[in-house]
Amino acid sequence: MEQGKTIIEGRGLQRYYRRGSETVKAVDGIDIDIRMGEMVSVLGPSGSGKTTLVHLLSCLDGPTAGKLSVEGRQVTGLSEDQLAGVRRKTMGFIFQKFYLLPTLTVAENVELPLLFLREKPDRAATLEKLRQVGLGDRADHLPNELSGGQMQRAAIARGLVVKPRILIADEPTGNLDSENSRSIFQLFRRLVREQGISILVTTHNLSLGYLADRIITLEDGRVVKEEKGNTAE
Amino acid sequence: MQFVSMALKNLRRRPVRSILTIAGVGLAVAVAVSLAGFNLGYRNAIEKSIDRLGFQVMIMAKGCPYEAATMMLKGGTGLLYLPAETYDKVRSDPEIGSITPVFIGIAQKEGSGIRDDSGGSFAILAGIEVPSYRDMKPWLEFDAGAGFEGGRWFSPDAEDEVVMGYEAATYEQRKVGDKFLATISPQGAVQPVQKSFKITGILKRTGTQDDGTVFLPLKNAQKLFNRPNDLTILGMKMKKFSGAQLQEFESRWASLPAVQVVSLQQVKSTLVMLVGTAQTMIAAVTVIAILVALIGVINAILMSVYERTGEIGVMKAIGAFRGDIFQLIWFETLVICIVGAVSGTLVAIAGSRLVEAAIKKLINIGVQGSIVIINWEIIGGVMAGAIVVGFFAGLYPAWRAASMHPVDAIREGE
Repeated sequence: MEQGKTIIEGRGLQRYYRRGSETVKAVDGIDIDIRMGEMVSVLGPSGSGKTTLVHLLSCLDGPTAGKLSVEGRQVTGLSEDQLAGVRRKTMGFIFQKFYLLPTLTVAENVELPLLFLREKPDRAATLEKLRQVGLGDRADHLPNELSGGQMQRAAIARGLVVKPRILIADEPTGNLDSENSRSIFQLFRRLVREQGISILVTTHNLSLGYLADRIITLEDGRVVKEEKGNTAE
Repeated sequence: MQFVSMALKNLRRRPVRSILTIAGVGLAVAVAVSLAGFNLGYRNAIEKSIDRLGFQVMIMAKGCPYEAATMMLKGGTGLLYLPAETYDKVRSDPEIGSITPVFIGIAQKEGSGIRDDSGGSFAILAGIEVPSYRDMKPWLEFDAGAGFEGGRWFSPDAEDEVVMGYEAATYEQRKVGDKFLATISPQGAVQPVQKSFKITGILKRTGTQDDGTVFLPLKNAQKLFNRPNDLTILGMKMKKFSGAQLQEFESRWASLPAVQVVSLQQVKSTLVMLVGTAQTMIAAVTVIAILVALIGVINAILMSVYERTGEIGVMKAIGAFRGDIFQLIWFETLVICIVGAVSGTLVAIAGSRLVEAAIKKLINIGVQGSIVIINWEIIGGVMAGAIVVGFFAGLYPAWRAASMHPVDAIREGE
């Protein structure tokens, strides 16, 4: 992978929506670049636009105005299925609520994205991914047999199985205790260092957010601060 | 892992709901299979019973021909008689291949102390001419099992000999050589007469009304009932049996006083039509059952879709196309319908004998043999129907799930 190359580029991104008679400016004119091999934290209070910005950058939502390109390809205005095509090749996702399917084993959950890619799962590769996140011995367990931290690790393995360029994590530690939260961020750092992928993460937790290479702070849908993180672990 | 196995696993998530939905489909399918099986079985049974009468055409006293035919099929006491001279007039008709006169009388059974299901204790006595009657029914044979050996027909002039149908003999617990006691009320007599007969033979089971009949010589039957110049029916086979010839035959003999010509083909068609009318109403109930099951399936799958809104959003986020989600939900619906159809069909097959026994116990259906026939055509048809229903039932929930916007779905799931 070409370290430092821009993978996601947003220019003048806006996302407005109506709430009754009021227009909410969730994202209001943001320019942003995410480069290969860097971990970027988006910080900010509730309602500052973190999640909306992540949804725009991950092609889950379309901007009201502005331009977005992923790996140099203009994605603004693409159809839902075209955007899904962009996501499935480039991005891995992690959510606050983990969203593991309760009827599938941990290994099956990890292999789920491959089903949509019509790729035959390689169980050895799946187990390797689970080992990377510290769940090598939990492959055949059901999600309800795991702790919150373990479930989030399984979700990370699911995000990694398609070998994404960027892992997008929206409040990944929102349901975890401080110990598990720190361990998840340390895992992110290790993935960036060892695999060279990019990570875009939103969090409320300032101390965790500062473990990233770059920190972007939002307020009222705008970038109010951009600074370097403290990557010394 | 494939979409189908994932769909199967999803259905295990809410096992009670899935089982109840499958049970709804199964119930509708069981009703549909049973009805179709009853429809086919009853039609076959009617046709077989009428065919096994051995006659193509009957001449009988004027009255309702269908009532008369039903009486021939299942017995009865409302007998009408035609003049015996009709036999002499008709037998010379060149269109007739063979003809047999039958006199039927009802006697009270004595000796067994066993009463029949209807609460009465009547026996149907049929006076016949053996050669012509056997010509009509070549399948009549004597039973040769234990106690039934040495069976033979009575001689035409015998006054105290009878041959019993299989069921009549079994019911009365009689064997060849035993006595059969009957109380007969001759026409015009004030007091009934008790008569003892020797049983010369017991017939093999035929699956027709003959099984419950006691046969005796025609002349003796007429004498015992004091109706020497009466017959109940003339059964005939025509040389060539066609609608036009039958019409010609009918018009030729309709001029005889107090008799009517009845084609059993007409009787058959009318009975099947009457049954068909009743079955149309039952079919309407089946359609309602299927609609209720369909709504149940749509409701269950929609609930499942709404419960999994967040998951569907995440699946879309990690790369599922609209078609993938559609396929997944649609498979779930199809699985419910197919499993329901298979279990409903199995229930219908297992329960068919039970239903048949219950129907036969509740009503005298007038036909012998099985009245529920479930064949591969019925099973295939109902299975195909269930798949079509599943196809349509799954469309809306699947479209609903596929149309969810990933961000809205994820947000709703949180």
